[in-house]
Amino acid sequence: MSSALALRPADDSVGPVPPATPNRPDWTDEAVLAGAKAIADGPLSAAAAEIDRGAYPLEILGRLGGAGALAVHLDRHGGRFGLSVAAMQAASRACGATGFLMWCHDVCGLYLEQSGNPALTGAVLDDHAAGRSFGGTALSNPMKAFAGIEPILLRARRVPGGYRVSGMLPWVSHIGPGQYCGAIAGVVGANDTISHEIMFVLACDRAELRPCPHFSGMEGTSTWGVRLDDLFVGHDDLIADPARPFIGRIRGAFILLQCGMGLGVAEGSLNAMLAVEETLGHVNQFLDDRPDAIAAELAELRARVMRLAETPYDGATDYLIDVLDARAQVSELALRASQSALLHQGARGYLMSAAPQRRIREAHFVAIVTPAIKHLRWEMARLSRETLPTVTEGSRA
Amino acid sequence: MSLPEPTDGLGPWQLFLCRACGLIYDEGEGDPDSGLPPGTRFADIPDDWACPICGVTKSDFEPYQRRAPVAPVPASLVPQRRPGVVIVGGGIGGWSVAEAIRAEDAELPITLVSACDGSLYHKPELSVALGRGLTPDALRRETGAAAAARLSLRLMADTVAVGLSPERHALRTTRGTLPYTHLVLAHGARPALPDCLDPALCWRVNDLAGWSSLHAELARGPRTVAVIGAGMVGCELAEDLARAGHAVTLLGAKALPLPELLPEQAGRRLLAGLEGVGVRYRGASLVSGLSRRPDGTVALALSDGTSLAAATVIAATGLATPSRLVRGAGLAFDRGIVVDPATLRTSGPDIFGLGDCISIAGRPCRFIEPIARQAAVIADAILGRAHPGYAHAAPVIRLKTRSAPIALHGTPVADRPWHVVEESEHRLAMEQRQGGEITAWLAA
Repeated sequence: MSSALALRPADDSVGPVPPATPNRPDWTDEAVLAGAKAIADGPLSAAAAEIDRGAYPLEILGRLGGAGALAVHLDRHGGRFGLSVAAMQAASRACGATGFLMWCHDVCGLYLEQSGNPALTGAVLDDHAAGRSFGGTALSNPMKAFAGIEPILLRARRVPGGYRVSGMLPWVSHIGPGQYCGAIAGVVGANDTISHEIMFVLACDRAELRPCPHFSGMEGTSTWGVRLDDLFVGHDDLIADPARPFIGRIRGAFILLQCGMGLGVAEGSLNAMLAVEETLGHVNQFLDDRPDAIAAELAELRARVMRLAETPYDGATDYLIDVLDARAQVSELALRASQSALLHQGARGYLMSAAPQRRIREAHFVAIVTPAIKHLRWEMARLSRETLPTVTEGSRA
Repeated sequence: MSLPEPTDGLGPWQLFLCRACGLIYDEGEGDPDSGLPPGTRFADIPDDWACPICGVTKSDFEPYQRRAPVAPVPASLVPQRRPGVVIVGGGIGGWSVAEAIRAEDAELPITLVSACDGSLYHKPELSVALGRGLTPDALRRETGAAAAARLSLRLMADTVAVGLSPERHALRTTRGTLPYTHLVLAHGARPALPDCLDPALCWRVNDLAGWSSLHAELARGPRTVAVIGAGMVGCELAEDLARAGHAVTLLGAKALPLPELLPEQAGRRLLAGLEGVGVRYRGASLVSGLSRRPDGTVALALSDGTSLAAATVIAATGLATPSRLVRGAGLAFDRGIVVDPATLRTSGPDIFGLGDCISIAGRPCRFIEPIARQAAVIADAILGRAHPGYAHAAPVIRLKTRSAPIALHGTPVADRPWHVVEESEHRLAMEQRQGGEITAWLAA
């Protein structure tokens, strides 16, 4: 018990960070984290079961935005990725779905800022960063397409002044009427082949949102199928053209930010184990994955994530593998910790109102949302292979 | 469920795969929930129909052929209830440790993680195999699966070790996380390719897989080959390629081949031998870039402004030990994984290293000879048996250039003068001395 407490990840250090930018001097590291924790422990904890069943917590996200928790990873607010992960972890400890929504929102902000497009980096981004407007990300399919896992679903063709885009995306989260998301389409050129891809901001009011089937949990993430029918995408909507170099630049940051979700689900699970230690410790001592083991791994992993968060735009292959490895371990830890928490709590954790069974579903979401464990391993294997020439056809001497 | 038989004369019912979610539309079954009765041909589905799971439209489906179901094959008959030993590396180093453990203990669980298929072969043969007309199958002495069965170990082939947590005794791989009681790092070194050499335009020969691809490339008949780098591997490969009938140009940075190891007299003999089998040596040549020419050959741009072309380019520019895994785990690294010279323990608890990936006193040692002795030391330490310890000695270096075989003993030092002991048409003997002691000698 004492060792478990000693190892509890109460350490909230997030590494060296530049000072908050002058336009929001109130968003200091301490203030942002304290604000996120207060929201997480208060209204978010109270609403977690409702959100799991389908309540979309825009009001709580707005409060998190007001506290700076959705902005601090942006360059204009100091590029504090570690703090951003820490805030997401704090929220996910209470509610994994909200942690996921924070990630959707965070990366959407990243797209807007990194686009360098004046139409997207002014008031649009200010409102987004402060949680006054909301938008997510539709990059699951293109990320898998770029890794060679599946074909790209949205198709664009060039027209005067921009592109026209058609296609259907299943399962895009944190969108809705009046909202938006970052999306990628393959540009179809001659011979119906894809010449390159474009990335753009998709305003939901210009697309058809279709309801999704029921999911087993995290229903409050406002997840829709998105159908585009000849949607015009002009220069003001473009995030990147071509999209691949842009994605190559932000990919590490995109994946690293997700770690906040899984760390939070694991920490919430750890807390649930510790909560019953006094009353059930005499039998729980016979379980695998005891709190001290989970706490030690959580502390080590969190420290590694925080180190990686100091250089989110490092372009080296070794860095990217480090990020993928950490992200995969976050998933594995969340799965083990959530299962162990339910076993530690026993029947009380199995109640429909209990957090441990909800966290089991949240942990599985962490493990299957793009990039899923299997995608991460696929990509690490691909990045680890040596490039060799291909055997040439015909004989040239 | 019995399906209606097609009566429309269009052949058997077809299957279509949703590329977004993997749902399979079976024409025989239709999609009754969406109003498509059994027996609805895909072509007859209205365009506004959507995938019942994910909602994408008809155009995101593609024809699908169901494959014969594959029954899961038990991958290992070895129970793995205890963590046991995990070995990273399916080359000579990794397999040697497994053999050494099994020679003394039949029970200890062993898992061998290999980034390739784990085939057993004798690596030095790779640089003489073309001239002997050997094939990949002839070089493979045993498949990884057969060796795993023989040694009762679990082989995880095509699996990359990606992360290591020494304190928790856990190795993360691309096929899951493995707990271990002892970890043996034997993952070798990788070709160190200068930035100016495009990896898609030049071959490297450091393992059987790379050699096999090169073998396939060369199998169609004699061609022009450029070998970049006149170290040991470059010289051996150049001769081997020439013996296999190819027109070989060997590019070296200095006037003579193998300048780091050989004194001028020996270098001249080596050069004469290579030229004797038809190798053209281009000394004092540094390659500054590679590019594909319109005719499919590769142009090598040289730093003196000239260039040459070759159908096949091979880089033999040295090896480097990958450091990401061990540095990330906080283990000491100095041109290789730092190990204790007597125990071969790394700086991490219960982690050992051997073979090409380690360095002793800051020096990598990339030769075959010490590996069996290293493996025996590690096996005894893991099994808790007394062992006098590994005694590192510089191995005899034998250059497998049959045209001019050269053997080097002792510890040659690059800038120390060599003294001629014997020099005749048929034999050259030289030595290096320090303080009256002979520190290295060679015979050519």
